Amino acid sequence: MENADPVLEPRIRGQREDMKRKSRVLMAKPGIDGHWRGAKIVSTALRDAGFEVIFAGNMSPEAIAKTAVQEDVDFVGLSILAAGHMRIIRRVLDALREEKASDMIVTVGGTIPQPDIPELKEMGVSEVFPPGSKIDKIVDFFKNSVTGDSQAA
Amino acid sequence: MKDSATQKSKFTGSGIPVKEVYTPEDIKDLNYNNDLGMPGKGPFTRGIYSNMYRGKHWTIRQFSGFSTPEETNKRYQYKYENGETGFSISVDSVTENGFDPDDPRAEDEVGQSGVSVCSLEDMETLFEGLPIDKVSTAVITSQWTSPALAAMYFVMAEKQGVSLKQVNGTSQNDPYVFTLCCNLIDCVTPPHLLKLSVDLIEWCAQEVPNWHPVSFASYNYRENGVNAYQELGMLFSNAVGYIEEELSRNRLEIDDFAPVISFHLAAHNDFFEEIAKFRAARRMWYKLMKERYGAKDPRSLAFRFHVQTSGSTNIYQQILNNSVRIAYQVLAAGLGGAQSLHATSYDEPLCLPTDQSILLSLRTQQIAQYETNITNVVDPLGGSYFVEWLTNEVEKKSWEYFDKIEERGGLVSVWESGWIHKEAANAMEERQREIESGEKQVVGMNCFEMETEPYEVPVFRPNPESTNIQADKVRQLRQKRDNKRVEVCLENLRQVSLANDNVMPALMEAVRAYATLGEIQDVWRGIYPKWKMPIQY
Repeated sequence: MENADPVLEPRIRGQREDMKRKSRVLMAKPGIDGHWRGAKIVSTALRDAGFEVIFAGNMSPEAIAKTAVQEDVDFVGLSILAAGHMRIIRRVLDALREEKASDMIVTVGGTIPQPDIPELKEMGVSEVFPPGSKIDKIVDFFKNSVTGDSQAA
Repeated sequence: MKDSATQKSKFTGSGIPVKEVYTPEDIKDLNYNNDLGMPGKGPFTRGIYSNMYRGKHWTIRQFSGFSTPEETNKRYQYKYENGETGFSISVDSVTENGFDPDDPRAEDEVGQSGVSVCSLEDMETLFEGLPIDKVSTAVITSQWTSPALAAMYFVMAEKQGVSLKQVNGTSQNDPYVFTLCCNLIDCVTPPHLLKLSVDLIEWCAQEVPNWHPVSFASYNYRENGVNAYQELGMLFSNAVGYIEEELSRNRLEIDDFAPVISFHLAAHNDFFEEIAKFRAARRMWYKLMKERYGAKDPRSLAFRFHVQTSGSTNIYQQILNNSVRIAYQVLAAGLGGAQSLHATSYDEPLCLPTDQSILLSLRTQQIAQYETNITNVVDPLGGSYFVEWLTNEVEKKSWEYFDKIEERGGLVSVWESGWIHKEAANAMEERQREIESGEKQVVGMNCFEMETEPYEVPVFRPNPESTNIQADKVRQLRQKRDNKRVEVCLENLRQVSLANDNVMPALMEAVRAYATLGEIQDVWRGIYPKWKMPIQY
């Protein structure tokens, strides 16, 4: 754009960016364990990075899948602080398949022992963030996963 | 990354600026008799007993529970055989929420984050063969389920031949652990939670003299991100909320129930600040009891507290390093004059502790008690220019935070409005920012990091069949008990609750009839309004 106004153009570009749909994240705690610190911190960081975050709090796996579809999200973030994570995450993934939403990117954060991570990935989880994961790395993962029209601002 | 050794300004973990060195000038206004006093004498800054650990070591009370009551009972036996001197029940999320294991919402979570306890039968199994006449027990669960679980413990004790007059221990029964620090999915509004909590306190103060029916658990507020002085400010504001509720009933005087109140604090990373916090807390409680409530009984004026080393300071990276953090925190608790102590286990960022990691926690405490000689002299840091100055400073800031809550109407107001939730959220984000920016250094996380993990540790797995086993058990219980009697007891509990009488006698009868936790909580779910935690995401 040879004649582009050097002051105006970035602003217009910015507006165009704004008109694009923000990438959406459903952040949920499957089941009834109520520790919310991790989910809250990650939600805030993703929102600050330009994602639209829907914080669902505690929900059953089936409700998570239904909400994810209703809200048309790109990502489902699951936060867990109790053992029993393998079964409950499998139930979320099954419910997403049931809702024909297995294309959604599923991430898990929380007290996940290292040996369980490969198995979770095989099950369909895209990434696992154990305690002590750097927030920048988590945000980068979400940004790098965004494709097509969905752009984080 | 900034190198902390070269930074000019230095701060405590809670952001209090500190100088390079302290001198008599920094504590020139300190009056020994008024501000410190001899240990065992008001204001108890130096400790609540004259001889402290020469009289009795702090109680080694490791919080634990997983899977079924049968399996946790074995763990309790193992810890007792290895020198544990107090029990502490950690229940699962299903129990905390007040559901039975066959509730559809409980699927996948029974026994996964603690032990499943839903009836007197489970409580009997949990303590079978354990010397509860000699060893005290902390029944740690949500405020919402504290009255029912305390009743189960009391009836179990009676059946073991330990009367209400003898039974010794603590209920957590704290307002914030499960309505601020954690979420409950189907509970009632704060004023009703408060009513049930204070009923337990009021009844125990008269009927169960050796029971502490509340242990205000600022440990958990701290774990959510608040700092040392916010911890104490919230702690005392919550205690005031309960005390005001009891006094407004015009049934008991302050000295009738203040002696049974107890506390549960965190031992975080800033060594001297935590010691100063424990000392400041004793002086604050003394002033609060004496000046605000005119308490006279020395037991009302003495601040009794349990300490838990801070789980949130334990990290996933280079996981064995956590045992060093834990040992320093144990030392701070001992030097701060704690009455009982839980040392977390190094593997808790991964899983519930293994037999080995819990043994290490026990041994960490025993080494502090038997080898370091810190138990020989009471309040050994008393008189240190720095520690006395910092004790004053933590106290001052804690009162300021306490006033901030009181100005907003106190416990129930900030709880219902969500102001306190906003405070917690701000604090957790601030803690995260400090770590992300490198302002706070965490070895293995933002400094001295390693590409590959140097330690491989075993992972504890709770029994995956716990849901099926416990759900079957509760179904069988409902078959074999006298259901007519259960129905009558639950209806009586409902009537007593509607009449706004103390629920405890009716609750004891319901528990004796083997009413389940879910059935009991449903009585209150049926008559009180529901509440949703006001978190702003």
